[in-house]
Amino acid sequence: MEANEFVVRMEKITKIYPNGIAANRDVDFTIRKGEIHALIGENGAGKSTLMKILFGLEQPTDGTIYLNDERVTLSSPLEAISKGIGMVHQHFMLVSSLTVAENIVLGMAPKKGGLFIDYKEAVRLTREYSERYNLFVEPDARVADIAVGMKQKVEILKALVRGAQVLILDEPTAVLTTQETVELFQELKNLKEQGFTIVFISHKLKEIKELTDRITIMRAGRSVGVYDTDSISEQEISRLMVGRDVVLRMDKPESVPGERVLCVEDLHYINEWDKKMLDGISFSVRQGEIVGIAGVEGNGQRELVDILFGLKMPDSGDATIDGQSLIGLPQARIRTLGVSYVPEDRMTFGVAQTANIQENMVSDRYSQKRFNKGPLFNMKSLYDESDKLIMDYAVLCKSRAQEVGMLSGGNIQKVVVAREFSSDPILIIADQPTRGIDVGATELIRNKLVELSRAGAAVLLVSADLNEVMELSDNLIVMYNGQIAGYFDDGQWDDLMMGEYMLGLKRQSDEEIRRACHA
Amino acid sequence: MFGQFFQTIFQADFLFIIIRITAPILFAALAAVISEKAGVANIGLEGMMMITALFGFLFAYWTQSWVVGVLGAMLVGILLGLMMGFFSFKLKTDIILSGIAVNMLGTGGTIFLLYMFTGLRGNTGALVSPNILIPTIDIPLINKIPVLGEILSGHAILTYLAFIFVFILRIFLYRTPLGLKIRAVGENPNAASSVGVSVTRMKYIAIAMSGALAGLGGAFMSMYYSQGWNQGMVAGRGFIALAAQAMGRGEPVGAMFSSLLFGLAQAMKTKVSGLRGMASYNYLIEMIPYVVTIIGLVFYAMSIKRKARRHQLKPIKEKLS
Amino acid sequence: MRDKRMVLFGFVRGAAAIALALAVGTIFIFLSSDEPFTALKYLLIGPFVSFHGGVTAFNTQNFYQVLAAMIPTIFTGLAVCVMFSANQFNLAAEGCVLVGGFVGALVGIYVNMATGWHAVICVLAATVVCGLIMLIPSILKVKLGASEMVTSLMLNFVLLYIVLHFLNYHFADRSKGATMTYPFLDSAKISSIVPGNSKLTWGFVIALVISFVIWVFMYRTRWGYAIRMIGINESFSLYSGMNVGGTIVLSSVIGGMLSGMGGSLEVLGRYNTFVWRELPGYGWTGVTIAILAKNNPGLVPLAAFFLAYLNKGCQLMSTHSDVPSEMIDIIQAAIFLFFAAEQFLSGYRQKLVVKTTREELMRAESLKATEGE
Repeated sequence: MEANEFVVRMEKITKIYPNGIAANRDVDFTIRKGEIHALIGENGAGKSTLMKILFGLEQPTDGTIYLNDERVTLSSPLEAISKGIGMVHQHFMLVSSLTVAENIVLGMAPKKGGLFIDYKEAVRLTREYSERYNLFVEPDARVADIAVGMKQKVEILKALVRGAQVLILDEPTAVLTTQETVELFQELKNLKEQGFTIVFISHKLKEIKELTDRITIMRAGRSVGVYDTDSISEQEISRLMVGRDVVLRMDKPESVPGERVLCVEDLHYINEWDKKMLDGISFSVRQGEIVGIAGVEGNGQRELVDILFGLKMPDSGDATIDGQSLIGLPQARIRTLGVSYVPEDRMTFGVAQTANIQENMVSDRYSQKRFNKGPLFNMKSLYDESDKLIMDYAVLCKSRAQEVGMLSGGNIQKVVVAREFSSDPILIIADQPTRGIDVGATELIRNKLVELSRAGAAVLLVSADLNEVMELSDNLIVMYNGQIAGYFDDGQWDDLMMGEYMLGLKRQSDEEIRRACHA
Repeated sequence: MFGQFFQTIFQADFLFIIIRITAPILFAALAAVISEKAGVANIGLEGMMMITALFGFLFAYWTQSWVVGVLGAMLVGILLGLMMGFFSFKLKTDIILSGIAVNMLGTGGTIFLLYMFTGLRGNTGALVSPNILIPTIDIPLINKIPVLGEILSGHAILTYLAFIFVFILRIFLYRTPLGLKIRAVGENPNAASSVGVSVTRMKYIAIAMSGALAGLGGAFMSMYYSQGWNQGMVAGRGFIALAAQAMGRGEPVGAMFSSLLFGLAQAMKTKVSGLRGMASYNYLIEMIPYVVTIIGLVFYAMSIKRKARRHQLKPIKEKLS
Repeated sequence: MRDKRMVLFGFVRGAAAIALALAVGTIFIFLSSDEPFTALKYLLIGPFVSFHGGVTAFNTQNFYQVLAAMIPTIFTGLAVCVMFSANQFNLAAEGCVLVGGFVGALVGIYVNMATGWHAVICVLAATVVCGLIMLIPSILKVKLGASEMVTSLMLNFVLLYIVLHFLNYHFADRSKGATMTYPFLDSAKISSIVPGNSKLTWGFVIALVISFVIWVFMYRTRWGYAIRMIGINESFSLYSGMNVGGTIVLSSVIGGMLSGMGGSLEVLGRYNTFVWRELPGYGWTGVTIAILAKNNPGLVPLAAFFLAYLNKGCQLMSTHSDVPSEMIDIIQAAIFLFFAAEQFLSGYRQKLVVKTTREELMRAESLKATEGE
């Protein structure tokens, strides 16, 4: 095989972020001219980092990049664009109040009379590209008024107009409806026929099988193999993606489930882009058990958690705590019902960074009687409470008066968890509780979760870390496409099996799934 | 009493006065529009106008040329804008705070600077001479038309310029590549930088232009409107301009109409003071535009909120495909 | 270690900002004055030292005047502190001071209750009215999301014209040449605490007490805690179950009450009739004070003293030399800009952080080494 077949060659790419996380380790990645190349891997496997490096958004710590056999350094997106690389981000980079044509020529607007935008030329250019590549858009429509599918086409056109030969699409179907996905695939195949090269990041095996020529699978920052799509089965892909060298099993006491605490009944939610994110979810969580929700991100877990904590209104369905509906309640009321919550985005929702540890630890309980003497705080009890939590959760800090923002990620999460776990909750919703933190903190948080559940709390654990859900859960729900794809209560699961459910290759019967309600 | 009131209002010279009073507000409102378009809240317009009014006058006095004065005022406005930009974009002072600092310079700093440069205290009455004031012009043909001629002809050059700038600014924002980039930066900086548009640079450009327009407003005040510089001269016009910008939905033409509303209210106040029965309402009349602004903001905020809610609580609809 | 260094860094930074601002002022003095050293002398030490007849001595009256000037600005400084702490850029303290002074004056003139409580009632009336006024911008913000900055700026003018209207057409003393009210009843006046004409009244004592009260409120009560947390991170506060909207309204109402209290104490203490015919500017000074005090009510009197001292120095400088007193605004603007600049001296800060981190790493390593033995 001739080397010059490759438009992109990335060799031995290593990326270590300042916080010490190695996102890519010695990754080799090549793209042939004119192919659609799938890049697949779990969340955190390093796909995004690799593509950010290719698009000039991040600089590799080590390794080299060749474009058409020429060694290059890509220090900014602008440079990548000028070398023929275009990227369509998952979150669109469009200016809503501008028209489609204006968005497409932003920063490179055609001029007339040396001074003015030649808007007609911009529209013409848009039309020309739109027709040539069969990507239908309305040049005069304001971006705010068009559907998501068309926004995506605008993004693709933006890249094409700037001369992109290689298009990177980051989970393009995540925001699309089925119909729009079908359309997109047609368009991408069309682009391929015209000689463009496409990198397609996705979790959806069916899509990958249908669309792509070759596939690179990543796991834990490394590339675990490059295959011709036709030569590898979906099961094989799934195995390579989630397969683990060592599976750790946690020794935890047997769970004795009690009464149902949280009951979720037939939740439906359609997001603002008309995409169905929750499609009839029903399950329950009982006292004394940990129910894990596994699944590739973007299959409705985010929406489910937001609804359970009063951030979103479902289109239909109900969720109850001890029989009382929590739909539409303010967070304060949900908390008084005995729900506590470890948020996924701890810096936004979990802590006030410039406040000190003590202040962060009591944010849910500061108005309780035991911390107040008449109008004043009882500082001693506040201090005692936070000192005790710092001890119990081994928060590494100078004192309770230290700013939370000064702590390491793991210790910040310990502060959050200490607060949330210590409010005598009857239900704990833990959303990615150990993402991005050190081993010690992870261990502590997992042990505490088990401890609390065995003491009678109901725990709902949502995690994209498959290992974590498999280890911790007593019962396990797999979500796919806004539905429950499988419910497992026998403890007999392994990663290969999970992978097949997570990626939509398998689905249990409705009857089996209905067991999740424990009705 | 109302008969007399309306008689006064519908006179040509009253409309003439409105236009005259509106012009400086309009300059400042356009200054607010351009910076706001880039996502920069320029609360320092009041101070910018005070300072540029002073320097405009001084430049004109030193060179005995009103043209140099106006250009000087614009230059000082640009420098002030860049200074605000330096502190806010480079040293990360909150933009509102750098605006307040410029206002401080405007209130007292100007008096100090006036003394430093001329030895005068408080005002420049002693330095005024006709050739450093902005001249008025009669527009041929139009000045022959009855009523309309009286209203439109005989204004200062800068008055016409203010209204012309409404359209220049509109064209600049909507028809030039730079305007497009500025709007993109104000609305979605990530989108702009993803195609290589420098966000900071656009913000510097916008606030410098804002300073230049405020400079025109300042020059208008000292070199025409109050015929010399004095301390209480700008009298909140910079803040009014912010309101005019907000009420005009951030668009040049909208800002023009709301500026005219402020002009109308101020003109009415001066007119009404002379009328029996109405005189005692002059302050309340002067208050109207501010109340209208608050109400306007409320309606604006409500419409945005309603839009958002409609989005969130939409009925369940099954996509037919 | 790190924290101590950062605190020290904070002081160094503040001092550097002030020094830089004074340097700017000095340059301007040398540029504009024929007697720069006289000017500087009065600016820097004039407020405390009198130079009469070649004898230098501590100047008690000047000192009292400096303290008296702090009365309204402590209150506006506190008001701005409380509102900025909740992340509300509410600038209506300016208008509230005016209204507070006016309401206090009216009650002091027309409510006849010749007892010691009269002044108290005047101040309370002003406090309540201004608290209510602040409901407008804060409820518009909380319920509709209307920018509190713009509405409060507009509100200042609305309040100004309402006061002017009533002052001119309802409560003016027609026998006087200028527009002013009738004189306050004696029972409504705030009396001095020191002899002389310095206007250093009980208002000053009240201001100090209220500073302490507000400090306690902000750092030792559940409401102040909620205000601060919401200011730091609104999403976090919402998630923790706080009443975000109500707390924002509360912070604004308290800001209004403090401004109104300050306005009435100032008017009833300094004047005999109500004479303000424009916005007094104390609200803006309050913003400067809040910035200097880093939103800490405990530091407000200190910041207010600093500004009052500077102001007095500038006044003396203009009386005894040829430099106008408005110089204060240039110095103040410079202090303000450097003080609020997050990145000012950030390079130095970065070096400190790196140094501290290195040291910590080394200590950790040596610890490991000893453990390994």
